[in-house]
Amino acid sequence: MHILLVDNEDSFTRNLEHLLAVTTGRAPEVLPYALFQTDLTAECDMLVISPGPGHPREYPAYAPLFTSREQGQPDKPVLGVCLGMQIINECLGGRTERLHGCVHGKAEEIGFLGRRERVARYHSLHVTKLGDGLEALAATDKGVAMALRHRHRPFLGYQFHPESFLTENGEAFIRHALRELL
Amino acid sequence: MPCANCFELPDELALSFLEALGLAGGVDVLLSAKGRHVSFLAGLGPKDELVVRASTSREELERFLFADNRPTVGFLGYEYGLRRLGLASAKDSDFPLGHLKKYETYLLYEAGCVRLVGQARLDGRVAALLERAAEAAAKTAESPAARGSARKESARAEGLGRLVSASLDRQAYEAAVRQAQERIRDGDTYQLNLSIRFTAEAKGLDAYGLFLDLARRHPASYYGYFESGPFRVVSTSPERFMRVRDGQVLSQPIKGTKHLDARFGDREAAGAEQALRTSAKEDAELSMIVDLVRNDISAHCEFGSVRVENHKSVFRVDNLLQMHSDVTGRLKPGSTVLDLLLDAFPPGSVTGCPKKRSCEIIDSLEPHSRNVYCGTLLAIYGRRDMDSSVAIRTGFLDTGAGFFHFYAGSGIVMDSSPSCEYAETLAKAEKFLQLLGGGE
Repeated sequence: MHILLVDNEDSFTRNLEHLLAVTTGRAPEVLPYALFQTDLTAECDMLVISPGPGHPREYPAYAPLFTSREQGQPDKPVLGVCLGMQIINECLGGRTERLHGCVHGKAEEIGFLGRRERVARYHSLHVTKLGDGLEALAATDKGVAMALRHRHRPFLGYQFHPESFLTENGEAFIRHALRELL
Repeated sequence: MPCANCFELPDELALSFLEALGLAGGVDVLLSAKGRHVSFLAGLGPKDELVVRASTSREELERFLFADNRPTVGFLGYEYGLRRLGLASAKDSDFPLGHLKKYETYLLYEAGCVRLVGQARLDGRVAALLERAAEAAAKTAESPAARGSARKESARAEGLGRLVSASLDRQAYEAAVRQAQERIRDGDTYQLNLSIRFTAEAKGLDAYGLFLDLARRHPASYYGYFESGPFRVVSTSPERFMRVRDGQVLSQPIKGTKHLDARFGDREAAGAEQALRTSAKEDAELSMIVDLVRNDISAHCEFGSVRVENHKSVFRVDNLLQMHSDVTGRLKPGSTVLDLLLDAFPPGSVTGCPKKRSCEIIDSLEPHSRNVYCGTLLAIYGRRDMDSSVAIRTGFLDTGAGFFHFYAGSGIVMDSSPSCEYAETLAKAEKFLQLLGGGE
């Protein structure tokens, strides 16, 4: 399996690279955002959009991945982590705004597919309006969206960080994404 | 002498020995003191040097470090790290980006024994020097009144004058903290280290004497003294950046600080330690940096080898309680300690996270260059062996201008109180500030 991991100049991308490598048995290809173009995804099975600083609108190069394709042209499966999830949402018409209080470096239990999972949160912004076709897969007990998926297209996002040492079952979230998207 | 090229020296004489050794000049030292146990690596008579400039390539560094089996001692400055991240600060500084040296003679002191490293046997000149130094150290021990000597007095009473400037005063520092918090709200950074540069008059300061004086009074794990052109670096860091032993990587980031009253007994200290460990703010600060360090060492560690151990360990230094964790990994077969070092530089505990954008913000909020501060002092022994500190609690004497510059900083998060962060910064600068007669 060939995974392309695009690094938005984040400081957790290598953690994600290691988690993907350990979970899938193959090292992903890591590419800086500055070099990313959508045609580079042609040869990969899945694209992973890394966390990163700032607002999703600062990363316009991803937008073409989410525009509707003509019939017969399949979407490229996309997993977004933190900023990556916000990028998926924003590209599909959603909205991202400041999260009152911010949460950084804290582990918290969330409801996920009927289970309670302890996950790491690092975010100042959060999704306040869902993009077209997206639904919330998980949220905090206070209702902050923690995972989104598209109802019909292979797009999935985690607001939390499966690659953090504070997340108890990081590999399980990657396996879930692979099942969901591929 | 119990072994060839080796002689015994009790721990309590180690600093006096270094003092006597320093009278000959041209000595650079990395020194560690843990409890009563002292160890050091001293380089005598620099033989080959590489002053790191903007144009110095990774290949040049590699050629210098691994040309032969001699250990390299030196530093890389914070601004060298900025360049590695593709950021060049516009601030003027004539301080070098880094400086590495190999020596004619290396002395390694550990477990009560001074040993020559990298030489087949003692030559007559070095043997005589060592003998004189050992005698001088023994004499100091016999005469407690002489301990500290004139050298120490000159460092404290005459060498260092008044504080002439701080790059940020209380008002400016607290305003910068609030600006940093605004950038946190925007999602540009999770945590950001913000520092102050203090400058004191230092005409005639004996920097080596100051280094030894501080080592006597405030022992810490990563002391360093290093001469670079007209500059004399004095580092008194409690923090390890990275150690590699036969490819086994260990980084020990510190985050979370609690100021202790010097009069505190064990019971009060234990209470303060418990408060530090259970503080949600300090916990989050450390966790962020642990994830950042995991990331930074992962670039050159084998997949699946990176672990976190001893999370939230606490130790006491300079009347401060400090919390740290161990991040470990296994260096990839094709990678060297230089690869590891450069791709993890500057150390994450003194930048913020994510690193690149945090460094950009730091550069806009701090009016000063950090120079050696927040860089690293290091010893590289080979492609898979190294030890290095995070150059905090560190300053340098500019012998040309006659000023001693020292720095201190604090990690800013969303929950930070600007006045508390300022107080923490001053607490970290205390060991230098008190030499000036009690601080600000």
